[in-house]
Amino acid sequence: MATNTLDTLRTTWTRRVRPRLKPLPYLLLLPTLYFVFLFTILPTFKVLRDSQIYYHPNRPDRALDTNLQLPGIEPMPRSIRGPHAVGFSYFRAMFDFNSEIGRQFRQVMVNTLIYVAATVPSSMLLAFVFATLVNRKVRGIGLARVAFFYPTMLPMVSAATIWLFFFTPGYGLFNSTLRFFGYSGPENWIINPSLGLWALVIVAIWKNAGYFMIFYLAGLQNLPDDVYEAASLDGANWWVKMFRITLPLLKRTTLFVSVIAIIGAFQTIDHALVMTYELVTGEADLLLYEIYQQRFVLQNYGLANALTVVMIVILLGLTLVNFLISERDEDGP
Amino acid sequence: MKKRRSFVIALVASLMALSFGPSLVAGQEQTTIEIYFPIAVDSPITEILEEYAAAYEAENPGVDIVWSYEGGYPDVKTKLLTTMEGGGDLPELAIMLATDIYDLRNAEAIQPWDSYLSEEVLADFFPAWLANSYYDYDQDGEAELYGIPFQRSTVLLFYNRDLLSEAGLEPPTNWDELATTAQQLTTDERWGILIPNSWPYWVFQPFAIGTGQNIVSESDTEVFFNTEGVISALQFWLDLFQVYKATPEGVQSNWGDAPGLFASGDAAMIVHSTGSLPSVVQNAGFDFGVSGLPGRDGGFYTVTGGGNLYLVAGVDEATAQQAADFVAWLTSPEMAVDWSIRTGYITTRMSGLETEAWQAYIEKVPQAAEAAATIEQAGREFSVQSLAEVRDIFHGYVLRVLGGEISPEEAMAAAQQEADAILSIYGG
Repeated sequence: MATNTLDTLRTTWTRRVRPRLKPLPYLLLLPTLYFVFLFTILPTFKVLRDSQIYYHPNRPDRALDTNLQLPGIEPMPRSIRGPHAVGFSYFRAMFDFNSEIGRQFRQVMVNTLIYVAATVPSSMLLAFVFATLVNRKVRGIGLARVAFFYPTMLPMVSAATIWLFFFTPGYGLFNSTLRFFGYSGPENWIINPSLGLWALVIVAIWKNAGYFMIFYLAGLQNLPDDVYEAASLDGANWWVKMFRITLPLLKRTTLFVSVIAIIGAFQTIDHALVMTYELVTGEADLLLYEIYQQRFVLQNYGLANALTVVMIVILLGLTLVNFLISERDEDGP
Repeated sequence: MKKRRSFVIALVASLMALSFGPSLVAGQEQTTIEIYFPIAVDSPITEILEEYAAAYEAENPGVDIVWSYEGGYPDVKTKLLTTMEGGGDLPELAIMLATDIYDLRNAEAIQPWDSYLSEEVLADFFPAWLANSYYDYDQDGEAELYGIPFQRSTVLLFYNRDLLSEAGLEPPTNWDELATTAQQLTTDERWGILIPNSWPYWVFQPFAIGTGQNIVSESDTEVFFNTEGVISALQFWLDLFQVYKATPEGVQSNWGDAPGLFASGDAAMIVHSTGSLPSVVQNAGFDFGVSGLPGRDGGFYTVTGGGNLYLVAGVDEATAQQAADFVAWLTSPEMAVDWSIRTGYITTRMSGLETEAWQAYIEKVPQAAEAAATIEQAGREFSVQSLAEVRDIFHGYVLRVLGGEISPEEAMAAAQQEADAILSIYGG
């Protein structure tokens, strides 16, 4: 009886949808799925699990009476190396701004937000300006495009190394230029706690503007000519065309660029490793850099994993927002 | 057709002979000793090391020495620890910072040398180089030997003798003389003294030791930041630019530039590593001298630095013995002197100073003898449990003092408190 129902159901199902299940596409997807599982899904769960573990592999395996210097953990004799299950203690410590971990976490998050807020809009604006500048048919415009795009082709580590020279106090190009315009402040950008973050911001803008320019350039070149012709016939000036036609038509490009720019800003670490490794009290630490520090330098395994969870949540949130916005856009006019 | 097949067989056979040949000849006796090596100075290190490997292999056909260049010191440590964690193929030896001993042993990445090296060999190392080599991990009252000194350096004061004699000055012998000499040698185009201090603890230690108060003791859980000596050494750094105007203001991020500025005459004195000696010897067009750092009330002081040879955990006894034999050869007086002459590191063996090669070398480069003499003035380099965390605290406060944000007294009181909080987990 039950089999019969199931059979009928199956027949209706198969008849309604597709009669045959094609195994080939799934087979072809299998290698990709395998690697996605191995390198994305599995590590994500491992990180979630290990964010609840206290483990300092650089400490001796000695049993001492301790609360592990974590909130909510009772003092008792236990190994100061670990591993110990500590639940969500690291997350509690992160959001308790009176604790050392909380104070550091807040500084890192503030730094990261400043970094994102300072790099993303300015590099996008520059990218747009570059794109409008090179989007014309003049002899030698290819050279200008290459010049703007060039920083993008450099690996971030080389770019950071070049900027180390630019930032040199005294005779560095950057400081000389600033002095020409009347700047007389401190010049040790890399090592000055209040300037380190801005040094990273400057390099990131210089590096990314050319990359985003490519998207704007592609967007500009896809714009329909007839709209501009019509506007010209109506007597619209450059200003009106820019703000009433170009920018609205580039809305999707802007959205796309802003999302990849924000995600990229969260993911950069190379230039921080090259430039600000000498800043030791976290004045310029970005989230990913802090994760690296905790995991490989300070050997604080649990905290590094907990910070990674925060990172994953942020990136997942951004991806979701991007997805929702572009979906809504798709349905709209 | 048949001819072609036999040709293919011959080709395959000769290819196999080529690829498996050496191992077949040597049979099962061949032992590979792989060494993770950090490149930390500006010399043709890889050429020298390959030459050493070839020389040792010629004497010991059963041993295959493989140098594995892994970047800088932090890269070697990170690679060793992550390879171990992931269950990958580990090397037999690694050269890592002498100060990393606690981290490495605690992580079970290294094992003791004690049973593999003879007392004779050990007794010939300068004792200062061994100050960060012993660790009583199991707390049985007897410390084991983990680090064999290899590429070791000290902090030196380089001074331009020509400029000094032009001004009618003698090389400084205490803080007052150091400051006034620097002041007198400062002109519009030249600094009296440069003390690169963006990664400050190492160049700072000789100043602290010069007051009779090192920032560490023999203990692995104690630091001495909030002490009169350390505070006055910090104040002296401040005075050099605030009072004497003899050095750039604030934090000096010029580790890489300082030797060049000294050699070009843009700085009359610099505080730098012995590792810079060869490049200064080559580039300086004037007579110069080196010494330890003058102490507050006289005397000369410095601190040790550089990397030791560690025996990786899990290496079996037979291989470990062969590795130890290689290490004994590599650190033998003749080799240590050759290494020293070609890289600027200071020789690790006392009897090395008596070799002909060394005597001939110091005839040509008297500064090398002056540099080697500083070993006797060297204090123990900053190393405690949770070193990275404690060092970050110290560095942070020193930089804030140099930046004028906080007074030396306040900074060291706070640094002491934060460091003690971290070290308290060790029950100290």
